[in-house]
Amino acid sequence: MPYAHAHSSRHWLVTLVTHVAFALVLSASASGCGFIARVTWRNLTGPSERKLAHKLTDPKRPEARLAALWVGHATVLLQLDDLFVLTDPLFTRTLGQVSERLVEPGIEPEHLPKLAAVLISHMHLDHLSLGSLDMIESRTSIALVPEGVRSSMPRYAFEIRELERWRSYTASNGLRITAVPVQHVGGRYGIDAAFEPRAFTGYVIEYHGLQVYFGGDTAYDPRAFAATRRRFSNLELALLPICPNEPRDYMQHTHLGPAQALAAFELLGARTMLPIHFDTFINSDDAPGSCANELRRQMQLRKLERERVALLRIGEQRVLMHAAAR
Amino acid sequence: MLAAGIWALTQLIPSPLLVLGEHHVGGGMRWQLTPLLYSFGIAERPLRSFFVSPIARHSGSIELHGSPEWACCAPNDASSWLVRAGLRMYLPLIEHGEVLSWSVGGSYYHALGSSDDGFAADLAMYTLFGGVGFHITASPWLTRRVLILSLNIRHF
Repeated sequence: MPYAHAHSSRHWLVTLVTHVAFALVLSASASGCGFIARVTWRNLTGPSERKLAHKLTDPKRPEARLAALWVGHATVLLQLDDLFVLTDPLFTRTLGQVSERLVEPGIEPEHLPKLAAVLISHMHLDHLSLGSLDMIESRTSIALVPEGVRSSMPRYAFEIRELERWRSYTASNGLRITAVPVQHVGGRYGIDAAFEPRAFTGYVIEYHGLQVYFGGDTAYDPRAFAATRRRFSNLELALLPICPNEPRDYMQHTHLGPAQALAAFELLGARTMLPIHFDTFINSDDAPGSCANELRRQMQLRKLERERVALLRIGEQRVLMHAAAR
Repeated sequence: MLAAGIWALTQLIPSPLLVLGEHHVGGGMRWQLTPLLYSFGIAERPLRSFFVSPIARHSGSIELHGSPEWACCAPNDASSWLVRAGLRMYLPLIEHGEVLSWSVGGSYYHALGSSDDGFAADLAMYTLFGGVGFHITASPWLTRRVLILSLNIRHF
């Protein structure tokens, strides 16, 4: 029927235009041109990269069952007994060729040990850094990525393996890594968020009875954290982002602030929390140091013992469990 | 649906041109579609059609492109349309092409409303994830557009 056909075509067109208009209005209001302009200006006028006085050249700690070195942002070198795992490697001097690091990376890539696995939580520029993967290409044989990411990655010498939510990678040495749900946004450049809308994940690493949670980048999603706890009830450590926090109205949909990170830590039931994703780049309205200060304030309000939260400086390594402790 | 709409909108964004003819300098705009691309730099799914991520293109690829082009301000020819079809190879220079890449290509053009058909060659450098590029197109036999300098603005 011609009328029905025309009506159907018009309906399709109206739906398309409505969706696109909605997306534009949403992204303009959510991202906020003012916010982007402020962050860009702060980056252009911000301080140069601060050098670290002492950087580890040998991160292996023979006395440790579990140790963590915060390299900066979401990059953490984890030691679980005799093996190492690196999260969201970021060693480049700038982010997106625009945002300069506030502090240099906490370890040079050439000083990294052999890695059992590299974990990539999603495709955003501060988590999937192609230049950084070049720097560590010879250090690992596998990188785990969320579903939908592999087809957007260039080829490397190491294997790139996608993990669907709740699926695991098990290595021959007993290392097991499971993709766990978090709440964030997919895509790489902002404009492409709708193309791979679920291409983000958290991970739980298991080795020799140790369990470590890596949240990547996540908003507050109580159901996701509770579901992870139901499956992994013995988490020793949770790496949780605490920034960007401001503007909260915008960030709350995609990022944990300090208070929410502590709430997530409680829901996950981990013994220790290691805050990440702060004071490395300017990507929000937060002043350097403000997220860490707010975290300390929230810890006091919650009467949380200081030992429960390993608030490291960039380049600092901490033994979280000694070899004889368990 | 939303992704298709966003993709379609990005395809509508034109790249501004500076058109150098034998006897004049003018302006113009160019759009570009990629019916087929083979990426030799990507980890998975090397063949792409229309919907091409910047990494697939700039990490190393060969594309078949179609390109409508509008130029203005030539004497006796206030404005004109031209379509190109061609092959272009992209090669990465820094960070798999996200920081810097270049391309070289050739195309066959047909000027609408006239009998001007012929071949052109192009050379380009790209930065900012391939989103911005500086493009030179040489068409020695097309007197109205011997050389075209373009600020290539492109996503997908």
